[in-house]
Amino acid sequence: MDLNVLAGAIMIAFGALAAGIGNGILFSRYLEGIARQPEARGTLFGQGMITLGLVEALPIISIAFGLLVLFDIIG
Amino acid sequence: MEITPKIKFLGLTFDLTVMIGTLVTAILVLLIVLLASRGRNMRPKGAQNFFEMVIEFIQGITNMMLDSKRAVKYLGFAVTIFLFVFIANELGVIVMITSNVTGPIPSLGLTKEALDSAEGAVSWFKSPTSDINVTVAMAFAIFIYSHFMGIKKSAKGYLGHYVQPYAWMLPLHLIDELAKPVTHAARLWANIFAGEVLIIILAEGTKYLTFIPLMAWIGFSLFVGAIQAYIFTVLAMVYISQKIADEH
Repeated sequence: MDLNVLAGAIMIAFGALAAGIGNGILFSRYLEGIARQPEARGTLFGQGMITLGLVEALPIISIAFGLLVLFDIIG
Repeated sequence: MEITPKIKFLGLTFDLTVMIGTLVTAILVLLIVLLASRGRNMRPKGAQNFFEMVIEFIQGITNMMLDSKRAVKYLGFAVTIFLFVFIANELGVIVMITSNVTGPIPSLGLTKEALDSAEGAVSWFKSPTSDINVTVAMAFAIFIYSHFMGIKKSAKGYLGHYVQPYAWMLPLHLIDELAKPVTHAARLWANIFAGEVLIIILAEGTKYLTFIPLMAWIGFSLFVGAIQAYIFTVLAMVYISQKIADEH
């Protein structure tokens, strides 16, 4: 088996793991926030989506490099 | 993975797909903005109304980061970045042109080995922001501009910032400054690139099995494209405002 496939798979797997943990924490706090203050839902949604974009970036960088390794473009 | 046609000129390699994508995006932005600003009215309706909403939305970003005098100055810049990145992101999801090239075309960089590695699939149109060179160029332009403005405002304050609060923190400041453009570029590129690769993989799969995931992923890609365009604009404004903000 080509080791590049394994390397790419590990990079994608850890990217997914990190994104799962990060988004889980983010949205659990978001739900806590609207449970405590339902009227703040609109503001919290916008802020939450911005934070989602910021949090998603690092795992998706790992996934993008993983895909590059998987398809033998780099590495 | 498909390959892209490249031309060599003066020792530099130019990627035709990226150039076509950038040109189409730039012309599209220009046309949309020109058409929307024809026949302006005090009582806006239609396209003008929509664009006033877009500009007010970006005004929210600049007002958040800068004081009111500078916010007006940077509004045009922020709107330009936002529209370019947004349309580039969405265009790549909607339109992707890939052709099957059988014979090698050496003048376009499509040699036999390159074609064999990609099984003849050549991409002619994709999102320009899914190429790392484009996003790195944009992020470094903002990086250089923000540092230039920092030096122009006060060279002493700019250099002094690197040894605040202690002199041994200089390496940390340098890493901080260098990490900014790198993550700024990689954030946008990785999101769009991963989205496009997954669309290609799903589109190649069995039609009956991957149709619903493909539709869901295309919808998510449109959403991610909008979010990333917004975040790219916000971060550009944050990096500029950090350098030109008045000390408290």
